[in-house]
Amino acid sequence: MRVLIVDDETLARSILAEHLAKLPEIEVVGQAANGFEAVKLAEELHPDLMFLDIQMPKLSGFEVLELLGARAPAVIFTTAFDEYALRAFEVHAVDYLLKPVEPPRLAAAVERAAERLRNKIPPPSPEQLSAAARPPGRTLERILIRHEGRVHVLPLERIDFIEAQDDYLSFCAGGKRLRKQQTMSELETQLDPTRFVRIHRSFILNVERLARIDLYGKDSWLAILSDGTKLPMSRTGHTRLKELIG
Amino acid sequence: MHPIFKHRRRLLLYLGVWVVFGLLLTVVFVFGGNAPVAWSLEFAVPVAIVLGLQSLSFWYVVQATPADDTPVVRMAVIWAVAGLVSLLVWIAIAYAWAIWLVPTNEVYPETATGILPLLIFAGAVGISVAVLGHYLAGAFQRSRNAERRALELQVLAREAELKSLRAQLDPHFLFNSLNSVAALIGNDTQAARQMCFLMANFFRKSLTLARQQSIPLAEEVSLAQTFLAIEKVRFGERLRSSFDIAEDVQDVAVPPLVLQPLVENAVHHGVAHLLEGGEVCVQARRREGFLELVVSNPCDPDRPPSRSTGVGLVNVRSRVETLCGHRASVDVDARETSFRVSILLPAVSSHAATS
Repeated sequence: MRVLIVDDETLARSILAEHLAKLPEIEVVGQAANGFEAVKLAEELHPDLMFLDIQMPKLSGFEVLELLGARAPAVIFTTAFDEYALRAFEVHAVDYLLKPVEPPRLAAAVERAAERLRNKIPPPSPEQLSAAARPPGRTLERILIRHEGRVHVLPLERIDFIEAQDDYLSFCAGGKRLRKQQTMSELETQLDPTRFVRIHRSFILNVERLARIDLYGKDSWLAILSDGTKLPMSRTGHTRLKELIG
Repeated sequence: MHPIFKHRRRLLLYLGVWVVFGLLLTVVFVFGGNAPVAWSLEFAVPVAIVLGLQSLSFWYVVQATPADDTPVVRMAVIWAVAGLVSLLVWIAIAYAWAIWLVPTNEVYPETATGILPLLIFAGAVGISVAVLGHYLAGAFQRSRNAERRALELQVLAREAELKSLRAQLDPHFLFNSLNSVAALIGNDTQAARQMCFLMANFFRKSLTLARQQSIPLAEEVSLAQTFLAIEKVRFGERLRSSFDIAEDVQDVAVPPLVLQPLVENAVHHGVAHLLEGGEVCVQARRREGFLELVVSNPCDPDRPPSRSTGVGLVNVRSRVETLCGHRASVDVDARETSFRVSILLPAVSSHAATS
């Protein structure tokens, strides 16, 4: 089995590599020190299995998985202590290791991963996993978008509105648009409902950007944003927005 | 409100004591004054209860003249007046009661003699005992209150200590450090040993420092340096630090664990999120009678919002305020790519602070 190790601490990577070297049929093909490297190496090296730390600079382990999407290898999470993540792993029956990792525990996890690979058991989606790992009451804080080979980290407060276009969502921030493959309803559940409102079948609005509401016709309105952009608003959207801003 | 009225039991007990006083008075009247038993009983017990109720007013006099800080002469005069007034009122009531009891022209039964002197004597004794009792009860109450207050203060101090300890024993820090030790043991036993020493040092220091009210800045700086040394083993090249502590502030008294949590934040919420890492800067200098303590670090504008935002900072702020009140201040300057906390404390030498 070809293995990729992802951890921002050199020592943590080296001890994992040391333990793995003693296991049969395991070859460590690469080591990544951060989320960006992890995404790059996972796509270049096509490992079968990835040991993935959760807390890393720039991208968390969950975000690495989200970016890799369907191309993600089997994953064993490693963490020192993260109560919410641990609960998420338990709930979704995902393999994880607690640092410092004990060799017998590591061997068992690798064995189980191999078994899953043989039986082709699909892992839970990274969105589900990271949603479960979020402390209760916390919503999404940033959006990850891969655009022309680069990873963009888009903090939610920079987003003006989100528009649905076919299978994609178009995130509009300061006049620029970034596209991501995701569905409107999926995103809607992850956003803070006090900051983002779905005003139309195809539009989610950052409430802070709203300048005024114009009546457009019977049962339809226009949301005018502070930069002058006009967005259509449905009756249900109008009701939702009214409920929020009063 | 009078403390006796707060509890039914207390009031009943109090009146019970006065009933006993009344019975003793009965005995005095029967044997000393040759009065009939039935009359003595009927006369003495009610007037004893009246004296008891009257004596309740002494509580207010006791409140006004605390035994500890009222001059003796003043107290003697006040009590002489209060006792005399009380006695006169009581005698008048007793006299009226006596008239009521014997409907003929006589005040006392025929056989009885010398009832008035006995009454005056008994009243004086009763009043004296009541005053003494009030003082004793007051002293008892005060010492109990003082005990409770001391206990409350102790609980508060313990709570603060626990809070800072919990902040100290960040599980992430502990387990990651242990992981580093486990990794080092394989190929660099010297470094592994060094790491164990650092960790032992760090935990021992934070345990002992947390119990003190204030410590010299130099000790707090050394704790922060130990913390950084451990984190450097984990983060390697990515974590750098610089200390600029002026010679004349080394000895300034600071609340324990005022610097270390800030340095910890600088690492975990700042440098840890940067691919290339960064430098944690600690500066301390004297400024117009104040100690200025500054911790600054670079940070990633895109960093995810941290889960424990402000916990360490809030803790530091409350401890600084507890020790120095409004003369101290904690300022935060959070920018896109940098974070800076500055603390101003009155610069008091730690020798002066402890003595």
